[in-house]
Amino acid sequence: MVDTADGTEPSSFRDPSGSVFYKDGRVFRALDERGAADWKRLASTRFFADMVADGRLIGTRDAPLEVAGGLPVGAGELTAVVEHDRIPFISYPYEWTFGMLRSAAILQLEVLLAALDEGMTTKDGYAYNIQFRGDAPVFIDIGSFEAADAGGPWVGYRQFCQTMLYPLMVESYLGIPFQRILRGHLEGIDSSDMRRLVGGSRMLRKGVLRHVVIHDLLASKVETSSQDTRKELASEGAGTDIARATASKLLDLVRSLTSPRAESVWAEYRTTCSYSDEDTEAKTRFVASVVADVKPSLLFDLGCNDGSFSRLGAQDAEQVVSVDFDALAVDNFFRDLRQSPGPGNILPLVLDLTDPSPARGWRGRERTAFFDRGRPDLVLALAVVHHLSIGANIPLAEVVDFLASTGEQLLVEFVEPHDPMAKILLSNKPAGTHDDYRTDIFEKVLHERCEVVASESLPGESRRLYHAVPRS
Amino acid sequence: MGVVAYLDPGSGSLIAATAAAGLAGVGVAAKAMWSKQASRFRKADPEDAVEENGEAAEADEHVRDHD
Repeated sequence: MVDTADGTEPSSFRDPSGSVFYKDGRVFRALDERGAADWKRLASTRFFADMVADGRLIGTRDAPLEVAGGLPVGAGELTAVVEHDRIPFISYPYEWTFGMLRSAAILQLEVLLAALDEGMTTKDGYAYNIQFRGDAPVFIDIGSFEAADAGGPWVGYRQFCQTMLYPLMVESYLGIPFQRILRGHLEGIDSSDMRRLVGGSRMLRKGVLRHVVIHDLLASKVETSSQDTRKELASEGAGTDIARATASKLLDLVRSLTSPRAESVWAEYRTTCSYSDEDTEAKTRFVASVVADVKPSLLFDLGCNDGSFSRLGAQDAEQVVSVDFDALAVDNFFRDLRQSPGPGNILPLVLDLTDPSPARGWRGRERTAFFDRGRPDLVLALAVVHHLSIGANIPLAEVVDFLASTGEQLLVEFVEPHDPMAKILLSNKPAGTHDDYRTDIFEKVLHERCEVVASESLPGESRRLYHAVPRS
Repeated sequence: MGVVAYLDPGSGSLIAATAAAGLAGVGVAAKAMWSKQASRFRKADPEDAVEENGEAAEADEHVRDHD
């Protein structure tokens, strides 16, 4: 489990009715009068019990008031405290694959529909209401629920479009990977930008006219206060029917979206890479024995590709986080996990090791940097060194230093310069660019930075594995 | 009413969300937009003498050119 210091959660400050805080490694939410009333109502619904039971809503229960011990709770007075189950490893929509964002969007709408059926609604439609446990999305923003007494349209529609629907459409209709856009702008893609992207050429694609063009036209033309508009629409409309109909239509639309991106270099890696069967066997044995030996609470698989070594590690690790910069390879892995579930403790994410997710948002603390979310006990760096060093032009010593800094222990693979895969990468570079890419140099730097506990040369004699403990 | 949203959903987005509900929603949205108070929703034309109390429709007939 990831450690958290006691105190308020930096990203939970906008809702005046409640705020999330940590104490003794547990997660709590402080609620004022209004928040407490909403929680009481939520806890009495059938959908809450059902969805917590099947894992789609985060487990939440009452907690003693004293836990909050003097913490500020927005504008109101502290009335109640609840405790939430912990998420093993936090992730953000700009690290999710297309399939993950899609399943998160579907969950957001399913939660809304279930709430509307019992007279409640959600205050917002932000992608950050969702987290992942392994490959399963879970709705965590319990503070988002409120009574739907007033009726009228769903107030979360705009945020849902901006942070979930539009990114999915941008990838589905334009083939542009959405992660880089979401990472650039936490609020997502706004309707006027979206209209410029898809308004012309993709106008006839499903959902564009209604949710992009008309939405943007209305957003830019209407300037009354939203609260007045809301009352107006609620009095004209028919209770929750409008919100329900909108959510159903959005659900149909999201379910229909697929990513058109064709196979990438990496997705074909497993079929075209140069590992012999003996090499794969030997590598599997070495990795399995190291993981079994370390029994990591948190295991990183950097450059996970198709995830086969993540699956291996998942058997002896409490939580596995698998990352790769190739969104398609990670998406394939995600879908593979859905079809052939492992122990359920593998979280696949899209991450560029040369530019990992930084701290973002308000005061640079709202969204945590990837490498600040938890220190792994063991890091697998299988077949990444040559891509960082040769492909990304990072000096070999830097690569080793970086890998050694990522966790308590390291299992790193060095692909020797005479290996076919290394030769392909080297052949794209002018001679002399990577004179430091040599086995003896790698081992020297590794020994300087770490204590090498074990090492093995694979049968093909072109790759070496090292189990190393970085010196502090 | 007891409903408080700290989030500004955006008036246009609320109407769009209503319209997105389908034909019934479009009906409601249209009715809301073109009801007696409709003038409040429309962006003020700088040449009109705009009045806050919803008399703008009548004011249209007395437009003067402002330099």
